[in-house]
Amino acid sequence: MATMTQTEEPRFPRQPVSGYPLDDNRGTWAVALIIATEATLFVCLFASYFYLASNKNRWAVDKPPKLHYALIMLIILLASSVVLHMGERQVKRQRYTAARIWLGLTILMGFGFLAVSALEYLDHWKTLTPYSDSYGSIFYTIVTFHAAHVIVGLLILIYTLLIPRYSPALRSPYRPYHVATLYWHFVDIVWVFVVALLYVMPNLRVYGF
Amino acid sequence: MSTTAVAERLKNIWETPKTPWGWFATVDHKEIGQRYLFTAMIFLIVGGVEALIMRIQLTRPDQMMLSPEMYNQLFSMHGITMIFWYAQPILSGFAIYVIPLMIGARDMAFPRLNAFTYWVFVLSGILLYVSPCLGQAPHGGWFSYMPYTSYRFSPSYGLDFYALSLIMFTISMTGGAINFIVTILRLRAPGMSLNRMPLFLYSTLTISWVSVFAMPSLTAACVFMELDRRWGTHFYGIANGGNPVLWQQLFWFFAHPWVYIIFLPATGMLSMIIPVFSRRPIVGYAWVATATVLTGAIGFSVWLHHMFTVGMSDMAMSFFSAGSMMISIFTTIQVFAWVATIWKGRLVMTASMYYALGSVALLVIGGLNGTFTGIIPVDWQAHNSYYVVAHIHYVLIGGNVFPVFAAFYYWLPKMTGRMLNETLGKWSFWVMFTGLNVGFFPMHIVGLMGMPRRIFTYAPGLSLGPLNMVETIGAFVLGIGILLTLINIAHSLRHGRLAGRNPWNADTLEWATDSPPEPYARVHLPTVTTRHPLWDDFDEEDDPDDSRVFAEGRLTLVSRWTDAEPFAIAKMPKETISPLLLALAMFGFFLALAFQHMWLALAAFIVMLLLSCYWMWPREQGEEIA
Repeated sequence: MATMTQTEEPRFPRQPVSGYPLDDNRGTWAVALIIATEATLFVCLFASYFYLASNKNRWAVDKPPKLHYALIMLIILLASSVVLHMGERQVKRQRYTAARIWLGLTILMGFGFLAVSALEYLDHWKTLTPYSDSYGSIFYTIVTFHAAHVIVGLLILIYTLLIPRYSPALRSPYRPYHVATLYWHFVDIVWVFVVALLYVMPNLRVYGF
Repeated sequence: MSTTAVAERLKNIWETPKTPWGWFATVDHKEIGQRYLFTAMIFLIVGGVEALIMRIQLTRPDQMMLSPEMYNQLFSMHGITMIFWYAQPILSGFAIYVIPLMIGARDMAFPRLNAFTYWVFVLSGILLYVSPCLGQAPHGGWFSYMPYTSYRFSPSYGLDFYALSLIMFTISMTGGAINFIVTILRLRAPGMSLNRMPLFLYSTLTISWVSVFAMPSLTAACVFMELDRRWGTHFYGIANGGNPVLWQQLFWFFAHPWVYIIFLPATGMLSMIIPVFSRRPIVGYAWVATATVLTGAIGFSVWLHHMFTVGMSDMAMSFFSAGSMMISIFTTIQVFAWVATIWKGRLVMTASMYYALGSVALLVIGGLNGTFTGIIPVDWQAHNSYYVVAHIHYVLIGGNVFPVFAAFYYWLPKMTGRMLNETLGKWSFWVMFTGLNVGFFPMHIVGLMGMPRRIFTYAPGLSLGPLNMVETIGAFVLGIGILLTLINIAHSLRHGRLAGRNPWNADTLEWATDSPPEPYARVHLPTVTTRHPLWDDFDEEDDPDDSRVFAEGRLTLVSRWTDAEPFAIAKMPKETISPLLLALAMFGFFLALAFQHMWLALAAFIVMLLLSCYWMWPREQGEEIA
């Protein structure tokens, strides 16, 4: 895996110590593992969704969740991942201002996602609440867990936007950016699964192709 | 520079200031490991006292010393304390202390995270123990089955504290697991390739991976529980489409791997201790390493054997019964490797070896009665009876407490610099061994006679009385045995014989450091050419041009995870108080959630956020590296 090995390309002219370059990859490993454990958390949530569904004749059948909000949110998030990836390419070329602009754009798109998400909640709440039945409970829990992850991802991105950059010889600004990018991509991929399993599948079941 | 000048310089770099600030801010793995051990032993004593109170209640039929509710709270707190706050943290304590020394690193990969996971572990335990202080301890057993634990049947705060303190505990566990994985995979001494790693590293690495993938299931289960109890959702309530068995599925998907998490590192300890006191390398190194990893992996596919009485398809039951049988093969491989090592070796009968041998014997008993209950018809008969209590205590005391005590006698001299008393140690072993067998073997019989677990008393005339009396006596004897070792430890701190570097003539790298080790562990980072560096012409100090001293700052070597070829150098953080502050803020957050003070919780969350930023904020720290 590319993230798990020391990057080959020379990045920053930092002084080696006793003949060795400084290691800046441990944090990336840790974030990769945090992503692994959080992904497992979502797997557990999805498993609970299907486990609860297996016990009921009626599962989100008479009124499957509307697709358009979820799809708009999906487009926003996937686009934001592309934007952030552009930023990461800039930072690797040491164009920090450009990188920060791309990062700022990603943050705005993240807020856009949350805004559409709020609209979706308001609309959806009219027909379904977490208190209605087990379907409402697990549906809102998954969606809210994801929204919480978007918020945490945004906080990480904002933090990355704000941290000062020292001269490359002292500390690389690339790693925090890279790590924040990894986490943001993870949050986006989770939404792909949420849309596929919680929004598209019930609609397919009811309306077919 | 002369060696003493270099040592002096390293000491200045690595030593934690001996001030109150330094005490709270330390990130030294040796300090943190000892704190883990100390705190886990406190939890062992608390859980043990709870067990003894229960045993007094059960001594004779129809006793009324405890009310049923009190009894329920006691057995719940006993189980939760022992399984979560004692059994894993005690193993983490040894691992945190020993592993960096064993792999020739100067600290864990993330020293501040290490301090943070410790503080979160302590504070989550305190959070759990807030509830008995309110007189409302959890009372649903350590696995708190729904729907009994729903708000309708358990309106007191106990189970809210259960759910929230466990969520907090999973944070500590996951952080610790990530720390172990990165430490073991990246900080090993040059030359310590995967096939030369001591077996304790294999077991700790395996359970760390298992933790990463098992803990989220517990988090999800506890989140659902808390939402159901206080926020009106319907995950587990059957009336609104929920399913109480969902709790069992999620809980056991976590909790069966957890059994291996609290067991495998103990087998790793045995695989370190038995060869040293058999004076030969372990038989079947590769087999033991593979069996360890496979136990962790297969451990994910046996969880339904806790639920055979729930009602499920024959196919599912057969599959999980087979999985449970299969896992005993891997444990058997380890047991045979130990037996063969003992067989081919020349035994040195130290107290540590007594505990190790006792552990193997108990594991065979606990393993056999476990395999027996893995058979579905037997399980249906023995389920929820004292038979299962006997099984769990044989495997957990035999598979966790005895190896841990072996490890105390083995590694404490490294930590304190002083030997424990061998005679007292052997006495302690025999008293514990007797107490365990007297206390728990009759439980097999009363279980098969039909005595269910988790009842506060039983009727006379069922002929259960005498055996229960025997069990109580055994439990107290076991307690006395444990006390003897605690006295031994306390006594040795002042009066023990000086240990010297390698009192056991052991083979792994931690024994090449001083006892207790210097803050920087060793002047020259070691290189390794075999599995048994200290037995095979160890040339640690053979570093004539000082190329492996690294006294320019807090530094340690980073090597590739497969062949341990060094390729970089890691800069280690200095003392900082932020882990403690962050853990305290998290404690406040969960405490506020328990009482549903959402504004307080939000405030605590914002404080956590600011503290995290303060923790991570890049500081100009380039100067000290030339």
